[in-house]
Amino acid sequence: MPVKTLSPERLKRFHDMVDDYPNKRSMLMMTLRLVEEEFGCINDEAMEIAADLCGVTPAHVQGMVTFYTHFKRSAHGKHRFMVCATLMCALDGNTDQALKQIESKLGLKPGQRTQDGLFSCEKVECLADCDKPPVVQKDFEHFCSMKGKALDDYIESLLKLENKTSAEYQNSSGVEMDLRISVLPSHYNFEGETESGARQFDDKDPYFKPGEAPRTTSVPPPLLTPLTAPVADGVNMNGAQHG
Amino acid sequence: MADATPFSPVILKHIHEPGSHTIEHYQARGGYETARNLVGTAEPASLVKIVEDSGLRGRGGAGFPTGKKWSFLAKGTGKPAYLAVNGDESEPGTFKDRYILEKDPHQLLEGVILTCWAIQSNHAFIYLRGEFILGYERLEAAVREAKAKGFIGKNIFGKNFDLKVVVMRGAGAYICGEETGMLSSIEGGRGYPKIKPPFPAVSGVFKCPTIVNNVETIAAVSHILKHGAAWHKQWGTEKSPGFKIFCLSGAVKNPGVYEVPLGITMREMIEVYGGGLIEGRTLKAVIPGGLSAPLLTPEMVDKCTLDYESLASLGSMLGSGGITVLHDGVDLMSAVYNTMRFYHHESCGQCTPCREGTGWLEKLAHKFHGGHAHSGDVDLVGEVAKNMRGRTICVLADAAAMPMQSYLQHFRGEFEKRTHEPAHVERLRTPRDEITPTAKRESVQHGAPNVVDVGMGMDRV
Repeated sequence: MPVKTLSPERLKRFHDMVDDYPNKRSMLMMTLRLVEEEFGCINDEAMEIAADLCGVTPAHVQGMVTFYTHFKRSAHGKHRFMVCATLMCALDGNTDQALKQIESKLGLKPGQRTQDGLFSCEKVECLADCDKPPVVQKDFEHFCSMKGKALDDYIESLLKLENKTSAEYQNSSGVEMDLRISVLPSHYNFEGETESGARQFDDKDPYFKPGEAPRTTSVPPPLLTPLTAPVADGVNMNGAQHG
Repeated sequence: MADATPFSPVILKHIHEPGSHTIEHYQARGGYETARNLVGTAEPASLVKIVEDSGLRGRGGAGFPTGKKWSFLAKGTGKPAYLAVNGDESEPGTFKDRYILEKDPHQLLEGVILTCWAIQSNHAFIYLRGEFILGYERLEAAVREAKAKGFIGKNIFGKNFDLKVVVMRGAGAYICGEETGMLSSIEGGRGYPKIKPPFPAVSGVFKCPTIVNNVETIAAVSHILKHGAAWHKQWGTEKSPGFKIFCLSGAVKNPGVYEVPLGITMREMIEVYGGGLIEGRTLKAVIPGGLSAPLLTPEMVDKCTLDYESLASLGSMLGSGGITVLHDGVDLMSAVYNTMRFYHHESCGQCTPCREGTGWLEKLAHKFHGGHAHSGDVDLVGEVAKNMRGRTICVLADAAAMPMQSYLQHFRGEFEKRTHEPAHVERLRTPRDEITPTAKRESVQHGAPNVVDVGMGMDRV
């Protein structure tokens, strides 16, 4: 069993979605958004919860989370700056300027996180607002033409929110973010494992509303004809040679 | 075709009005009336015929005729049909769908309702890219409003037709803009494209017949079914009728979205709508249809009109309509490097020619950008690009190779300027007494006043 589960209110949102999708697996993208909202990022625990909710293995969820770069991971800072570095924004040095400003305020180079884990900065690909470069996203806030005073003021407001000053960060260098998945999550307690070693994933889903039929993936019935080659009459299959 | 009425924007007509994203505003301008009149009463096949007659072509990039695509939908399979609306607008240089989703989501929903009736589907997915935050909120709100009014849900408009509209969010994968990649993502997997055939119209999402259309296409459908095919055909050229939203970015005075009839000249787009180039700069090249479109030189720009055929005849494509203007100060080698870094980052990794080829192109472009490429690398670039094309499941490999080939074709000199012979080769070729101690090379002058470097470094986090 996962260590935590979703809050009742988000679990309700999950149940509200059920009717919209033909199967549980297809709810994974939206479920990952729910767990991301719940935990602030997608960590190992969140991945297991999403896997349980959608009836897939945690390995599949890991594969999803590492494929889609927009999901926030535990390695990212609490405030995650994403600066568009694709050609249209990079023209005329717009991206460079935004990155330089972030570096001068927070001491962060792209791909780094502050040592206290509050801020991180990374370059991302096109954010689709190419007429107003540079485009910067901070978690789920979107800014266009984000350079000069606007960017400085915004960083200052975040620093104020966290009771920090930019002087605290200017002298310390950031740490590189490691977005790889650890081999075993630190909280992994082997609960729910069977003697054969693997965790059991069955269709008895604790998250579905009482009274509602669980959405199971039906197991195909056993084949009527066994998958063996037809044997001609009169051939001894026990190895005895005739004649 | 003579213009019967002068063109004024259709899809973007109301985006500057406050509150244009609300259902009250949309209904006040006659919204949902077309759907109310047609759903449940009009013959679905007749709607497909209207869209086919209008000559509407897919606005996502490939330009496939929409009505024809709808008519390919497999019927009588016993499986439900799905509509998947592609709002994963990730082609760099394109931002038209953002305006539709944020400013006028209800016309998209009306288009979805009409399309679902036309193809007899009861279930539509609208897949947005994860970075569209306001767009997602507004579209979700719009779906809720439409549900409350009974335009979506069970028994819509009281016409005994059920329709589910589900808004989904991606999470930052360019490949999910490819139609089968998007369907894989809807199914809850990595956004891996699938081999075609079978085409989605036969076996798409959940192995059911699926129609995949771009947001702009669906938005245009609601207007075409309101005014008719002849109305749509009065603009544009014979093979590319209608109007299209173009996204202008780069070195122009007024970048932004402009909805114009197809077939206007590229010069008009840049000079009139874009206000001309920024002061003190001249035109170097234009990327006409998103980053993957082969670029146009100034001479080709003079000949170019904005329709599918003209751009195809110039060896490029209209694509998604994202026009980027590069001025004379842009260091092309850094632009190439930036472009190739993008494709290497976004390759999904299924097919070897793409996964490895984009990496090769990025590394080679990095060599040219830094000025340490050898003379043989120019041909190597062309060779790698040639061998990537047409050998993969989806067209991402082509999308990376096409701009590279066009840079090489039109600006080979710029590549050659950045090369030098490796010292040992040079020594073999030159007589002993002529050997100079350093090989001749030109590298980009970082921070030089007249050169704009957009390469953005090797790290890609």
